[in-house]
Amino acid sequence: MGKVAAKIKVMPDSPEIDLDALQERLESALPEGAKINGVEREEVAFGLTALYPTVIVPDGSGGTETVEENFSDVDGVESVGVENVGRI
Amino acid sequence: MSEQHQNLAIIGHVDHGKSTLVGRLLYETGSVPEHVIEQHREEAEEKGKGGFEFAYVMDNLAEERERGVTIDIAHQEFSTDEYDFTIVDCPGHRDFVKNMITGASQADNAVLVVAADDGVAPQTQEHVFLARTLGIDELIIGINKMDVVDYKEDTYNDVVEEVTQLLKQVQFDTDDASFIPISAFEGDNIAEASDNTPWYDGEILLEALNALPEPEPPTDASLRLPIQDVYTISGIGTVPVGRIETGVMNVGDDVVFQPSDVGGEVKTIEMHHEEVPKAEPGDNVGFNVRGIGKDDIRRGDVCGPADDPPKVAETFQAQVVVMQHPSVITAGYTPVFHAHTSQVACTIESIDKKMDPSSGEVAEENPDFIQSGDAAVVTIRPQKPLSIEPSSEIPELGSFAIRDMGQTIAAGKVLEVNEK
Repeated sequence: MGKVAAKIKVMPDSPEIDLDALQERLESALPEGAKINGVEREEVAFGLTALYPTVIVPDGSGGTETVEENFSDVDGVESVGVENVGRI
Repeated sequence: MSEQHQNLAIIGHVDHGKSTLVGRLLYETGSVPEHVIEQHREEAEEKGKGGFEFAYVMDNLAEERERGVTIDIAHQEFSTDEYDFTIVDCPGHRDFVKNMITGASQADNAVLVVAADDGVAPQTQEHVFLARTLGIDELIIGINKMDVVDYKEDTYNDVVEEVTQLLKQVQFDTDDASFIPISAFEGDNIAEASDNTPWYDGEILLEALNALPEPEPPTDASLRLPIQDVYTISGIGTVPVGRIETGVMNVGDDVVFQPSDVGGEVKTIEMHHEEVPKAEPGDNVGFNVRGIGKDDIRRGDVCGPADDPPKVAETFQAQVVVMQHPSVITAGYTPVFHAHTSQVACTIESIDKKMDPSSGEVAEENPDFIQSGDAAVVTIRPQKPLSIEPSSEIPELGSFAIRDMGQTIAAGKVLEVNEK
């Protein structure tokens, strides 16, 4: 089994949020065995900016569920969704 | 180089040679950067394996990508005479199926890799069904590892027959499938017709890829925009955010949100923080609709035109494949359905038909139960209002994953919606 990269879209709960601080909170919320490999940002609309961390998880350990759950609980996160998955 | 772009899924059972095939395609089409080839050539020669450098390409690219600062998942690209392809290399584990259904729409067409020495394996079945659920139009089936079975025509024909049965089971039109005997490792029938298979005179892989139909962006379909989040922005008001799946949204359009059943006129649309007059499939937008308050709409609503509103299902009939379930599924079972941005508990009201895996025919009408590996037609009743569409009309909003006990237990596509 190889590894899987999942590009995850994280929407903040307001346009005013400190994105750097949010990014740090996401990093520290990662479950064991997963790692963030770069975070992209995309300006969406009306001041809202989405964060797109690419998270590497092993192929064969239950998908991205734990990462999604942990990210959802992070302060300042409105929603979490997986945009794309692919083997690396 | 060509102008047309295709997303190509590489699917198949683990160890049937997907990565090797990806490496071979990149290699044969000259898509691997020169310095990488050089590096591999040197390494291969050092190890006394000159000529096999392509075999290292995938491994090392994977390592490079993992080391890199950012990983672009849509990273592996190659060009043929007709198309620029981006490879979607599907994860093997079934828990990723949910992501592939609810994520950004991915593949247009697919190459199914089946090892000649192993035949149809569990993930072959899952991936074929997934391909169908995700609305893949054409399937190229590479019967791989022909070198391992000494290029025997009989073995090839046996595997072709086995895969044909599988396609029938999930009702994949075999007219939309083409079979090719290949060896990704040796390079047979990939870029050049192989002398090892004189009994085969059909298309080789690159020819089959060139012959794929052009993908059509779903701009002609009715607008469908599943709502991801709803914000209150000072000075603007209520702003729903989401990605357009089908159709076009224009400023001034009269839209409705279902199942919340409210609507109004689109006042402004923003994308990349800039005001735009219209938005198209794939665009991530925030917009503002006259007269809509934050509590009027919610995540899971679908925005569509007032004169062709998103359907709300009282019940719906669907084709499902059970991927993993510890016991059996009977009528009354109520797991959580994941469809677009919606997550709703739904009851399987009746199991209408079970398909025979060997013939694809209806094996049993109204069976008592279905279990792992079964394909069936079922009738489903959402426990809360759910907007969903028949896959034949709007495939982007016609598929779902079923989850329970922390696992993806089944995936399905909607055949018919009985509206409220």
